[in-house]
Amino acid sequence: MSRSQLDSLIHMANQIAANNAHYGDATVERVHSHLKKFWARSMKRQIVDYLQQDGSRLSPLAREAVERLAREQVARVG
Amino acid sequence: MLQYFDPKHVSPERDYGTPARLSGTLVSLEIDGTEISVPEGTSVLRAAALADINIPKLCASDNLEAFGSCRLCAVQIEGKRGLPASCTTPVENGMKVTTQNTRLAKLRRNVMELYISDHPLDCLTCPANGDCELQDMAGAVGLREVRYGFDGDNHLAAETDDSNPYFSFDPSKCIVCSRCVRACNEVQGTFALTIEGRGFDSKVAAGQSEAFMDSECVSCGACVQACPTSTLMEKSVIEQGQPEHSVITTCAYCGVGCSFKAEMQGDRVVRMVPYKGGDANHGHSCVKGRFAFGYATHPDRLKTPMIRESIDQPWREVGWEEAITFAAERLKAIQAKYGRESIGGITSSRCTNEETYLVQKLVRAAFRNNNTDTCARVCHSPTGFGLKATLGESAGTQTFDSVMKADVIVVIGANPTDAHPVFASQMRKRLRQGAELIVIDPRRIDLLKTPHHRDAQHLALRPGTNVAMVNALAHVVISEGLEDREFIAKRCDESGYQAWREFILEERHSPENVEAITGVPAEQVRRAARTYANAPNGAIYYGLGVTEHSQGSSMVMGIANLALATGNIGREGVGVNPLRGQNNVQGSCDMGSFPHELPGYQHVGDPAVRERFEAAWGVAIDDEPGLRIPNMFDAAVAGDFKALYVQGEDIAQSDPNTQHVELALRSLECLIVQDIFLNETAKFAHVLLPGSSFLEKDGTFTNAERRINRVRKVMPPLAGKQDWEVTVDLANALGYPMHYDHPSQIMDEIAGLTPSFAGVSYARLDELGSIQWPCNEVHPKGTPTMHIEDFPIGLGQFAITDYVESDELSNRRFPLLLTTGRILSQYNVGAQTRRTHNQAWHDEDVLELHPADAELRGVRDGDWVGITSRAGQTVLRARISDRMPPGVVYTTFHHPGSGANVITTDSSDWATNCPEYKVTAVQVEKVSQPSAWQRQFQTFDRLQLELLRGSAKDEAGQALSGARE
Repeated sequence: MSRSQLDSLIHMANQIAANNAHYGDATVERVHSHLKKFWARSMKRQIVDYLQQDGSRLSPLAREAVERLAREQVARVG
Repeated sequence: MLQYFDPKHVSPERDYGTPARLSGTLVSLEIDGTEISVPEGTSVLRAAALADINIPKLCASDNLEAFGSCRLCAVQIEGKRGLPASCTTPVENGMKVTTQNTRLAKLRRNVMELYISDHPLDCLTCPANGDCELQDMAGAVGLREVRYGFDGDNHLAAETDDSNPYFSFDPSKCIVCSRCVRACNEVQGTFALTIEGRGFDSKVAAGQSEAFMDSECVSCGACVQACPTSTLMEKSVIEQGQPEHSVITTCAYCGVGCSFKAEMQGDRVVRMVPYKGGDANHGHSCVKGRFAFGYATHPDRLKTPMIRESIDQPWREVGWEEAITFAAERLKAIQAKYGRESIGGITSSRCTNEETYLVQKLVRAAFRNNNTDTCARVCHSPTGFGLKATLGESAGTQTFDSVMKADVIVVIGANPTDAHPVFASQMRKRLRQGAELIVIDPRRIDLLKTPHHRDAQHLALRPGTNVAMVNALAHVVISEGLEDREFIAKRCDESGYQAWREFILEERHSPENVEAITGVPAEQVRRAARTYANAPNGAIYYGLGVTEHSQGSSMVMGIANLALATGNIGREGVGVNPLRGQNNVQGSCDMGSFPHELPGYQHVGDPAVRERFEAAWGVAIDDEPGLRIPNMFDAAVAGDFKALYVQGEDIAQSDPNTQHVELALRSLECLIVQDIFLNETAKFAHVLLPGSSFLEKDGTFTNAERRINRVRKVMPPLAGKQDWEVTVDLANALGYPMHYDHPSQIMDEIAGLTPSFAGVSYARLDELGSIQWPCNEVHPKGTPTMHIEDFPIGLGQFAITDYVESDELSNRRFPLLLTTGRILSQYNVGAQTRRTHNQAWHDEDVLELHPADAELRGVRDGDWVGITSRAGQTVLRARISDRMPPGVVYTTFHHPGSGANVITTDSSDWATNCPEYKVTAVQVEKVSQPSAWQRQFQTFDRLQLELLRGSAKDEAGQALSGARE
């Protein structure tokens, strides 16, 4: 049994959030920065698409970080 | 006066009789009229050898402590009585030594006469002829007759023990010099050999007078190397005769990176002898590097490029040009159809730095994306992440030799005696000298049973609870005030430390509170923390039991926290030391194999970095990271990723969740595999490019201590090309020009682009032997110990490592936890070692389970058991063992048909996606037949071997449909 590509990405984003939850004010930035630094373009696009369409399975912290990623992508395109 | 203080001045080609002494105090003496000054403690025998005066010897060797048994090295010393053995006599100031005179000559001749009176005189047909110290000494002392005759009692009828597949033991040739016994004790540390009996009855015995194969002997070859006669002799030499030349090169097995002399007859390897001048191994070896090289010329080697349209077709043998053109056209067509990011490549940790560099360059410059990854993804990627985040460099901090100054050795999630045997021998030497040992591992590893070492501490924690454990250890250090405040204040980031200190002092991290998670009694944790923190020098060594977890990166950072907090960084005897699995894992990471980093761990998102590479490579580089291996698999299954170039890796066998990997590989429209064998991955390939073994190419490997060692070609590539030449051809066929005449030019390019390699070149490597990076203007000879003054990031960074439970929890359906590992005789997926006599030790993977778990399930030793996880099921034979705690089962993955990775899941490290091989929730039950996957594997395997031999397409197609059902 294996997860779908999107399932994997959601799981990974939540895992990154869970492992960086104790950095006070820097927490969201750490998660966002990790996604930015280590995820491929297609992975970022898919998680942002998911956030925009549903996003319910993202933990609150992961969601905030992906929101930041989404804003950045918009800014980059714009 | 001759002065020998620096041990580097000695030649590794000579035997100086006794080991070097490193005292700073020099002692002056006169030998045969030559004045010489040597370090205090040096033997007269060694001092003489340093002055080029060769005293005859038989029982002495400079890798063994003096023994004084043969008496051949007797000398006369002015003012001393008798004729003392020079090997056991230390030098004294003003000593006057005579090594040759009539009295000594007579004594030595008498000694030799006695030896030869009980030795077969078959020198002309003896396999040691041409390399026999006994014969040499008979000549040196001028032995002309044996007055005792040969009719008396003797050992000439003693039977040969041929049980070991690689060497024979012929006691009729033995002179009982004890060199083999001492090598087993002092060099290898196994203590498998002994001298049995007394006086005339004395004889060498393995174990309890058993055959070598039945004893504790680990077949490292130290005894064979030590033997001065043909008593212990390589079977390859017995069969082929003495080698006529040799080439120094580097072993292609584990991350220790031993130097070897490939001893040759023409282009045929006769034997591999560990090279005394090798800085990683100092002349020692293990069964793999020493003996298991036969795979290189195994009949299974691929010698011709092959192509096919689909994986249900027979392979078609073609020339190199046609294969490369076929591959390039397919890649171009796929990119045209599915986009630039639809293809990628995997570099190999078994290939050289130069080859790895070229594959990632091919991906970035010719594929024009960053979809490059390496098998380090599935082993040490958390090391790269964790150490860079905390210490600023993605590598271990020490040399192997550093362990000789450690007072406390902490081994976490590693099994050095099996996976890094030569370094384990060095560790054991230090343990015998009195260092303390702490092992943190669910299994009772063999290092805990080190002979002549006592009171090892074993924290047998539950799999998946490493981070809870390391936090508890750090909690004790801080709460009991055992931290190194001066080091922290001077070398670490203050605010980061305060935040971490506050976190780690939380009561939830106390050993008492963590006990329920780890299963380890709090008092054991407190004792271990105190032992490490209070040690003058505490060194941590870790392996895949740290990295291959959902919190692998957190654990690496937790280890770095512990070392920083106790000031165990920046000098010899301390440090954070990842034990790398494959020969060039460190190198493959250094060379930019990861999708987010260019060579030298330089991020692709950094415009300044990209600019330098773009200028050198003449092409724009994507500024976004590419896909990692598991992301490639997911994308392939989803239909977005269509082609993959795999050099020297077997992802179908080594990566977790085999069925998912197979599905991904089947989804590819073009899989190009470059390998020396038809490995499991190649069975899904469309293009097969024959690889070259380490004996067939030039290059470099970088070992676990950052040591760059030369790999030297000793025979021509069987298929006509070295691996780097194939990558060059592929790049050119894709329209990206690559031109190199020799790997040294590739290294020059690496040095120009990678700051930590700036001073590395083949000329420099030939001059220095090996170089530990960083090697640059500041460190022109390399950097044995890192972080002495500061960190590459300035100050050490403490990381907050909260324990997050793994998804792989045991429950009623899957009540046991499976953990996987390695065994001494086999290497990784076994592609090499399974094609050698190492099969004699381990010809199948078995499931080790605790007697309590076995009894509960009615399982007896040798029964077939089904192991089922959330990912799949496989069947293995059971071995009852109490090396794991109840509730934990263990297996290896050296044999493809075992399907160990059918069970492992896609759970992975949060930061790097390194798979969680070390924790899988499973159920185990008695079964009577192989699993469905194993039956399918057998059918598919048979089919692909038939297709390799060119079976009819129709037949193949039918069989494949059957296999899929």
